[in-house]
Amino acid sequence: MEAVRQAFRLLLAHKVRAALTLFGLVWGTAAVIFLVGWGAGVKTMVTNGFAKTGKDMGQMWPGRIGEQFTPAVDRRHLWFSWEDILHVRRRARLATLVGAEKRQYIAVTAGQRAINMEVRGVEPVSQEIRSLPIGAGRGITQADLDHRRRVAILGVNARRDLLGAEGGLGSRVRIGGKPFEVVGLLDRVGTQFGRDGEEVDNQVWIPLSTHFAFWPSDWTDDDVVSFAIYRMPGRHLADETEAELRRIFADRISVSPTDEEAILGWSPIKTLRSLPMDQQDGVMYALSATTLIIGGIGVLNMMLDSVRQRRREIGIRLAVGARRRDILLQFFLETLTIVAFGGGLGLALGVGGCLALEALALPDLIPVPELSVGVVVMAVGTMGGVGLIAGIVPAWFASRIDPALTLRVE
Amino acid sequence: MCAMNEKVMNETGGPLGGTAVIELNGLHKHYRTERVDVHALRGIDLRIDRGEYVTVMGRSGSGKTTLLEILGCLSQPTEGDYRLQARSVTELDSDQLAGLRGAQIGFVFQAFNLLPRLSAVENVELPLAYLGRTKKISRRERRERAMNALERVGLGARADHLPNEISGGERQRVAVARALVNEPALLLADEPTGNLDTKTGEEVLALFDAVHQDGNTLIIVTHDPKIGARAPRCLTIRDGLLDRDVRNGA
Repeated sequence: MEAVRQAFRLLLAHKVRAALTLFGLVWGTAAVIFLVGWGAGVKTMVTNGFAKTGKDMGQMWPGRIGEQFTPAVDRRHLWFSWEDILHVRRRARLATLVGAEKRQYIAVTAGQRAINMEVRGVEPVSQEIRSLPIGAGRGITQADLDHRRRVAILGVNARRDLLGAEGGLGSRVRIGGKPFEVVGLLDRVGTQFGRDGEEVDNQVWIPLSTHFAFWPSDWTDDDVVSFAIYRMPGRHLADETEAELRRIFADRISVSPTDEEAILGWSPIKTLRSLPMDQQDGVMYALSATTLIIGGIGVLNMMLDSVRQRRREIGIRLAVGARRRDILLQFFLETLTIVAFGGGLGLALGVGGCLALEALALPDLIPVPELSVGVVVMAVGTMGGVGLIAGIVPAWFASRIDPALTLRVE
Repeated sequence: MCAMNEKVMNETGGPLGGTAVIELNGLHKHYRTERVDVHALRGIDLRIDRGEYVTVMGRSGSGKTTLLEILGCLSQPTEGDYRLQARSVTELDSDQLAGLRGAQIGFVFQAFNLLPRLSAVENVELPLAYLGRTKKISRRERRERAMNALERVGLGARADHLPNEISGGERQRVAVARALVNEPALLLADEPTGNLDTKTGEEVLALFDAVHQDGNTLIIVTHDPKIGARAPRCLTIRDGLLDRDVRNGA
């Protein structure tokens, strides 16, 4: 096609200018893919990080009585006992699952190794709420709880640090000096965004009742738990579920349900909601589209210059029978060819770069740009818009040229 | 000026009974550029018949190039009527004018005006390519007709050369081939020998004679009296008006 050949001739005729112009297009297009994809990657990373703490999960724990004007240090500490949790479990209508967890750092030894680890007392329901991947053996069962069995489940890092390569199911570990049998091993969970201490991979899990028996509270006879964990019936009911639980807890431990310092709550859903993810998408797109538009201005400039230099050619073409729309089309196609060429390179660079980063398998906390049809469509669409404008303007000028004037001998 | 053995005709002259290719009635052209109002043509009446060979002479600024542009449908008169092949062109829009230029008119310019990146035969094909937008002409037919036109000007062997690979005289002959490839009703030339030396200019003029012998209508704008003397009819333009209309020789 003539226009395509002419476009490449134009690029070859002014190599430096063409290189700079194309660079703008290539980089602009690649930037759209990178940045918008990266935005999506960050979103996924955060969402996944929260999802790893549990699907539709929420937590609730006691604070202090928050009477106004009283200094915090003077206020009474509150606590949830296991009985409180069981009470709430019976009363709750919205929350589909409610459980208790207790966590504490305790020295864990295996052979010659001794490590201070987060030892967590759990109920079977915790495993369900957190959707834990049990790699080998079993989880904590109701029977373990009933008999206060001395069994433990290890996260991947805890197992590696304690038992090394040789250890596995049936190994013995000592927790705070007490012997426990390893009955389950967890698969890797990865980085979680939560607020409750160590990552699961580093934890040691034991039955909640066993935890109470060996490491009771030193100020009360209650079985004091660290927090309640629950599952809401869906993320659209996050607020309602939290309000219901807050009401039942408040009633149970005799505080005001409106006292926000007495009962504290957290859920990844609420946190996610408060993050400006969608605004971030807009900013990324605006930034990258600007780069592409600047590239487009380069093309516009190059084409306007080309029209100026080729006035005589346009005059000749008009004189031998070209209609104005033939000239318009010719220059428009030339511009589109250049934009498509630069944009195509940028697309390849962007997609290639994203795939390469994905292939690198970077650690959890480094977001990888995410490729999607949407991102590519966005990049191609923006490129098309830029090409359209950068193409129409010079083509229009070209088609308005008066052939009589250009053909006169100056 | 035109040769002295002249026979003065009435202004709209030409032998009666011929077919008019061009009829101009009261043609005016104003330009308004850079605050200067130019009244380039001030009322031209003219008739040119099929098969005539006419030169238009005049000083620079006399309006002869403006007249040529209007005859070639490159610009429109401000006032008056222009009929090409009995069809008024003053009411046509730019697409229709482009169609006329493509189908009825062939141009030859002083500066040759070949597209530098196209080979000789591609240059000659150009009018056919644009004509092909409205009337299907196959690629092969285009090439064939372009080659025929090049053969006619004696440049069949140069078909694949770029304009900067051939001499000035050859370039102008390529331009003539391009002008003829559509078999136009009218061949217009603006100082066709202006950029050529005497010898090659003579070759190009001989080519015009041959084209005329083939029955084509030619109008050549020039200020070279030798060309004026050579053509059977010589018009002189002065201050935007037709000053003289002279028929040479027998």
